[in-house]
Amino acid sequence: MIQCENLTKRFGDVTAVDRVTFSVAKQSIFGFLGPNGSGKSTVIRMLCGILEPTEGVGRIAGQDVSGDTDAIKGSLGYMSQRFSLYDELTANENLQFYARLYGVRGEAMKKRRDELIALTHLEPYIDRRAGQLSGGWKQRLAMACALVHSPTVLFLDEPTAGIDPVARRELWDLLFELSSGGMTLFVTTHYMDEAERCTHVGYIYMSKLVVCGAPDDLKQLPAVNPPGTKRLDVTCDHVTVGLRAVRKLDGVRASTVFGQSMHFLVEESMPEQSIRDALGNAGIHQVDIRPIGPSLEDVFVALTRQYAGGPA
Amino acid sequence: MTFQMPKFLRGFRAILYKEFIVIFRDRTTLFFMFFPPLLQIIAFGFALDNDVKHMAIAVYDEDRTADSRQLIDAFVNTQTFRVVKRVDSLAELESMVRRGKAYAGLEIPPDFSRKLHAGQKADVQVLIDGSNSTTALQALNTAQGVAFQQSVGILLHVTNRRELPVEVRPQVLYNPSMRAPNFFVPGVIGTALQIATVFAAAMSIVRERERGTLEQLLVSPMSRWGLMLGKIVPYLCVSMAMAMILFLILRWVFFVPIHGSIVMLVVAAFLYVFALLSLGLLISTRAQSQNEALQMSMTVMLPSIFFSGFIFPRETMPGIFYAFSTILPATYFIELMRAIILRGASFLEFWRHLLILAVMGGVLFSLCALRFKRKIA
Repeated sequence: MIQCENLTKRFGDVTAVDRVTFSVAKQSIFGFLGPNGSGKSTVIRMLCGILEPTEGVGRIAGQDVSGDTDAIKGSLGYMSQRFSLYDELTANENLQFYARLYGVRGEAMKKRRDELIALTHLEPYIDRRAGQLSGGWKQRLAMACALVHSPTVLFLDEPTAGIDPVARRELWDLLFELSSGGMTLFVTTHYMDEAERCTHVGYIYMSKLVVCGAPDDLKQLPAVNPPGTKRLDVTCDHVTVGLRAVRKLDGVRASTVFGQSMHFLVEESMPEQSIRDALGNAGIHQVDIRPIGPSLEDVFVALTRQYAGGPA
Repeated sequence: MTFQMPKFLRGFRAILYKEFIVIFRDRTTLFFMFFPPLLQIIAFGFALDNDVKHMAIAVYDEDRTADSRQLIDAFVNTQTFRVVKRVDSLAELESMVRRGKAYAGLEIPPDFSRKLHAGQKADVQVLIDGSNSTTALQALNTAQGVAFQQSVGILLHVTNRRELPVEVRPQVLYNPSMRAPNFFVPGVIGTALQIATVFAAAMSIVRERERGTLEQLLVSPMSRWGLMLGKIVPYLCVSMAMAMILFLILRWVFFVPIHGSIVMLVVAAFLYVFALLSLGLLISTRAQSQNEALQMSMTVMLPSIFFSGFIFPRETMPGIFYAFSTILPATYFIELMRAIILRGASFLEFWRHLLILAVMGGVLFSLCALRFKRKIA
């Protein structure tokens, strides 16, 4: 549904997006991750046809996104980071405006509006000015506006930035519902837990796409699971003290605290007992150790370090 | 709705509805469209009156005779002067003028009456404050007029003639009473409309750029012409309402008689605000921020205050400024206003000005649409 081949954008001397190649299948939820300024929004803008690529090709449903993009505009929805709403208009008027803009009129408009109000639970706020809505409701309204013309591809640029956890959860429920209805979703985010919910993820770092694939496939990558190593989850009291004790041991390649537990990447041959001993010496005796797979965070950390030339 | 918009106007109706709602809800825009022009026409209409009356004058009468008193009365009777103080020395007279207490000082020497009756030349000194050229000119003309009148009266008496050998009978056409408001207020309408329209239009697109809604519009299949028309039509309506209010003020507050066709007045106003709004929109498509748009608007508007013939006659301008004035919409509109309102000119006499305004508007508006990119930077 979405394809990029060597998609590149340069602003003067600065390369914002450097030869990015990936594709997104129909009906998938593609999570696009990367730090601020890595080029996520630039990729979205090029794919939406409002920013001309310097080099390379982007396609939506087989249609080129450079030059005259009228052909794809009707099938494409876009929700920008800033929730592009008119503060002076009510929620209802915003919806009507975007409907008219896309030529959705009359009965079709009324029907679609009612559907979207039901979908986003906007009913109580429908006559409120957009400028007076809270962040979460603004985001729902922006979402409804982006969907008003029933697009087949929906781009969401950081839709959950700055909204509360309940609204965040509900937005994701909505995204799954849309996806199951046949829509292809392209979502940028900072949150790893959101990335885990996506069917596919891409990670962009310093303008380059570092990795792209299904989360489970990425976790199997050799760069993430160096041969002869295993990952352990160690749960105990005083994890910060424990981390310092275990980190010193030979055979521990990487370590991090994860809530009430610690995650270690250790040599395959390393016996669990040596960890228990080290913790015991530090005064920690209640210890639970179990093997785990890598998280997406582990994947991105490993790949970023590898990419930047640091230790895996 | 069955009527389908042609492709090149896609998005027009959506933008049109939205823009109307936004204009009427956004009190600041409405305020800035209406308040400054109203303030301007009222202030200029009352203040730009260079028909000076009752200027303060100080008198140093050393003669103190019936003749000297008659001369002073002659000065006062012109209505140009009123005596604010009688002083007792030349130094005091000069001081009155220097301190700005009097625009002019009249000194009548002690031998005034004696010389007059002896058939000699009687000198009278008038000190005029030249720091304001308008009042100084008026004082000078009036003083010379009084002296001339007095002299003629005496000469007629001496020569026993009843009439002057030659008499000029001037007839001032179109503004017979030479009222300043008749001349200025039609011009003020030109500059007042300019303020109302250019700023508002200049903000309209750049504001959407700043808020991020422009990006959303660009993603949609909206056309450039649809966007520009949808933006300009609501502003046209508001500006025409403004123009009507200004015409009403012209007629019923300043009592300027309208000699020409009201329809033509409205047509001229329409073409003028269309050109100005297009200019504002063009600024709005180029500017990257509202601040930049504001500065650009100021830059294009200030020259027309000076060079449009609003205050200074274009005919006396140096060649380069005269040439410059020919590209300003305000120049043509102000001339049209004076032609229609004061001279009652007919369509055949001013159609060229209307055509020029129409072409300016058409070109500027087309530039807006053609130069507007449906991509971001």
